[in-house]
Amino acid sequence: MFRPFTPPRMAPWLFPLLLSTFIFALPGCTSLRHSLWRPPLAPDGEIERNRFTVAKGEDVIGQLAEIRLEKGDTLAGIARHFGLGLNAVSAANPEVDIWVPKAGERILLPLNFILPDTPRNGIVVNLATMRLFHFQRDGAVLALSTYPVGIGTEEKPTPMGRMRVARKATRPTWYVPVSIAQAHRKKGDILPAAVPPGPDNPLGDYALYLSKQGYLIHGTNKPASIGLKATNGCMRLYPENIATLFRETPINTPVLIINQPYLLGQRNGILYLEAHTPLEDSGVAELARINAKLRAMEKESGRTLDWQKIRQIQAEARGIPVPILALEAAKGAGAEKPVAIRHPGRLLGSPELPGLKLDAWYVLAAEVQDELDARRLAAIINHQGPPIPAQVLPAGKGHRVLAGPFKDAGEARKAVKRLKIDLELDGIMIEPVRKG
Amino acid sequence: MVKRLVLFSMMLVLPVTMIGCATTSELEKVQAEQKLINAKAEQAMQDAQAAKAAADEAKLQADATSARAETAIQAAEERERIADEKARMAEAAFQKSMRK
Repeated sequence: MFRPFTPPRMAPWLFPLLLSTFIFALPGCTSLRHSLWRPPLAPDGEIERNRFTVAKGEDVIGQLAEIRLEKGDTLAGIARHFGLGLNAVSAANPEVDIWVPKAGERILLPLNFILPDTPRNGIVVNLATMRLFHFQRDGAVLALSTYPVGIGTEEKPTPMGRMRVARKATRPTWYVPVSIAQAHRKKGDILPAAVPPGPDNPLGDYALYLSKQGYLIHGTNKPASIGLKATNGCMRLYPENIATLFRETPINTPVLIINQPYLLGQRNGILYLEAHTPLEDSGVAELARINAKLRAMEKESGRTLDWQKIRQIQAEARGIPVPILALEAAKGAGAEKPVAIRHPGRLLGSPELPGLKLDAWYVLAAEVQDELDARRLAAIINHQGPPIPAQVLPAGKGHRVLAGPFKDAGEARKAVKRLKIDLELDGIMIEPVRKG
Repeated sequence: MVKRLVLFSMMLVLPVTMIGCATTSELEKVQAEQKLINAKAEQAMQDAQAAKAAADEAKLQADATSARAETAIQAAEERERIADEKARMAEAAFQKSMRK
């Protein structure tokens, strides 16, 4: 027999209680959703770092991204993992400590670039942005590979101009230039006339010798120097980048080295401006050049540019393309939202940190009061080339920066020498703990 | 006639006396009020003095706190400057170490 549904009886006080609980829970759920819900993170492998196709009439490639830092990250480590130079990550995040950033901090990854104002052919190196562009045309398709580079110092700048790849070599021998040998001799370091391939060879595993005598595009044994002015005029790439460039670059490829700190380009009907800190002595002239170009565009288009915004972009020099004008009426000139990237966990090329071993040699690199200073120094030692493992140990009220473990006294002695020559630290060797 | 005169006098004296009596009581009342007000004024003065003393004390404390805060800010700025200087020096040393 059919019986109509009768709800179960409930105590008279229970219904108002349940109702009020439900009502109070509603805003709670909303705020919880607001605080916890974020757009899904893209796996780090999905963001393009090096290889792009350049659409006709477009000058901007790639996408701005952001990542949340984890404990132990350094900007140098993040830069390498995402195929960026240390200069680029540092400029995009000027408030962030390079060596001891806060865990949980969000940083921008400037993985969008305005192409330099040059013919799109062969290799173009923009010294101001410390980036190499390799254009390869395949029929109607213009493919582009781009890599960060380390360039010459102020005293030994990378020469500008047109040249070509004269020859190529794998596992090149480094013939030590007289100036470098002399500089090392002053510090008590006698370099050999030639350094064979291996971890101590600063050329890394691949070299492209340029037609301008004495200048190379090569790898490095100091990957943290990519994005710095640290060479004698050569251009260095990350080991993983030079391997690809070497493979894809035939002899006689034209090479053009330029200095363009201010770049203009368009994508999807929007005009972008990208500003970098100019190289010494080139700032005023480059600024005048780009401003003249902007004024000409303003006159030609009959549109007024926001010069206050332009001056701010130029002054901040964060190396990120910023929209400054919608060239087509329907387009808005709003900033592109950065793509949130999931932290990969382990960063490419990040230094190995072996645990403490009683039977190993160590070098006391420094004793410092402040933990931050100790961690910064340990990170810098870790990013030497070849790497020297280093860690921080609390000691009383201060902290010790300990390099090692080293398997024998010889290795520890070598580390002491390198710490002295490269970082002017007076390391103290620590013997292994003898058993019994 | 005398009776009339007496009656007239009484009619005149009585109100005058009554007015006189009223004036005295009013005077007493006013005096009492004055006394009360004086007492209140005295109390208010004392209160004001106490409040001023408290305000002065509070100002002194605020000044001292402000001075301490200023010193703390200066110390924090100095610490920040030293930390920045250390970071800059470390960075310079690192950049030098990256050369060949």
